Amino acid sequence: MSFSFFSYFAAIALLLALLVWALRSPRRRASQSKDEAALLEQLGRRHAIYLPLIRQALSPVDIAFIASHGSAALAQRIRKERRRVVLAYLVALREDFNRLLRFAKLVAALSPEVATAQEAERLWLSTQFAWRYQMVRAVIYAGLLPQRSLDALSHMVSELAVRMETAITELGEHTAVAAKMASSLDGRGADVA
Amino acid sequence: MIGVTGKARGLSCYLSVKKCSRFFDPLLGICQRAIMPLKMLDLQTAQQLGWNVSIFLRAFLLCLILFHRNIRSFPFFTIYLVANLVTAVILLLTYHAYGTNNWTAYFVAWGSQAVMLCLRALAVAELCRLLLGRYRGIWSLAWRVLLSCAVLIVAYAWIYAAIIPEHNLESGVIVAGRALELSMAAAIVVLFVFLRHYEVASDPSIRSLALGFFLYSCVSVINFTVLEKYSRRYEAVWSATGVFSYLVCLFVWGWALRKTVPRSIFGPSSLFAKNVYERISPEVNARLRALNEQLSHFWNVEAPRS
Repeated sequence: MSFSFFSYFAAIALLLALLVWALRSPRRRASQSKDEAALLEQLGRRHAIYLPLIRQALSPVDIAFIASHGSAALAQRIRKERRRVVLAYLVALREDFNRLLRFAKLVAALSPEVATAQEAERLWLSTQFAWRYQMVRAVIYAGLLPQRSLDALSHMVSELAVRMETAITELGEHTAVAAKMASSLDGRGADVA
Repeated sequence: MIGVTGKARGLSCYLSVKKCSRFFDPLLGICQRAIMPLKMLDLQTAQQLGWNVSIFLRAFLLCLILFHRNIRSFPFFTIYLVANLVTAVILLLTYHAYGTNNWTAYFVAWGSQAVMLCLRALAVAELCRLLLGRYRGIWSLAWRVLLSCAVLIVAYAWIYAAIIPEHNLESGVIVAGRALELSMAAAIVVLFVFLRHYEVASDPSIRSLALGFFLYSCVSVINFTVLEKYSRRYEAVWSATGVFSYLVCLFVWGWALRKTVPRSIFGPSSLFAKNVYERISPEVNARLRALNEQLSHFWNVEAPRS
């Protein structure tokens, strides 16, 4: 009885929290990209493909050289710079992820039918990504730089970029036409921000 | 909702004290109470005042709907409001004829409550469709999810009702009412989550109507839960809370319906062919998965070091 009593309060608290979250307008994202055309333009960009350059900047040889020939303060500063570079890379990775998500949502919104499994998987993936992103950031802030993983990453990203580029370029034109149709039907611009 | 909540006992006192014989006495009641010294405004009186105000607010809302021609946008919501108003009148007559401590009045009150709950569910479903119906794909997914949520909660309540020790009409009414209110609140929240997830722009008026329903349902769930635990000791508060929360809900709806809400256009035949989604979606998911794997790779390599 007591469990049931408190469980209903908990359920309502949970619903209220969810509602507040859902009602918070995603303005930040909306301002990042004003319309679907901008989104489609940006889809071609892949921050992640700059990874080889980042990897080069993170080379331990450079750090060793600076440590042996320069001061400790300089080495420390370089380490901080490296951390900043990896963090910037992570942010770029997240941008890639969010752009893809928005593209997928746009396609879903304009399609006559969507598959529950695909949508559920996307939801799960974005939850996973958000969690991992925070974890990796925490690791980097703790002073651990993930050098070894960068090699594999570089290869994977390049491969995926090529694969998706073909599909998205081909379908981007269809999306732009469909978004314009949606805008004209709605009379206020496309509803899918 | 609707008023039935507060009425069973609140109205009985009101009617017995006033001994009114005329049908439109609530009007007089409001005027008298408006000039009543504040110290005399006890819970029962305040509740009665709230109940009377709510009747007029309902009528006012109906006028607003008709005046702004929103009836075309919200047919089920209008039906619900009309039924709500009619129910209030029927209850007034029933209590007047039979009193409140009577089985006939009891069944009329809770029977009408059941009808109102069904009509309210239809009105909520209408709002869901108005908000998401323009997107056929999303809507085809959303209505299934929303319905599943509602069914799951009702099923849970049914199981709960079966396992509780007391099996009587009162506990049955409480469990059923709470389950339906909770399922409605959950459905509305899931609806807003869908809107957020797909970044669908929605009309603020429709959103406010849905919020009104949500607020009332939440208060009802809490109200029923406390009533179940404290039973008769809580009845007066339960009744008054029901009336006041409904009053708040009416104000929210009144604000939402202060202007004409444009009619939604459903079903542009198809913006995309079905196979476009079938082709793109797995590709996008694959890439998202890969980006995720990149992150996990970061994590897996670095974790042992720490």
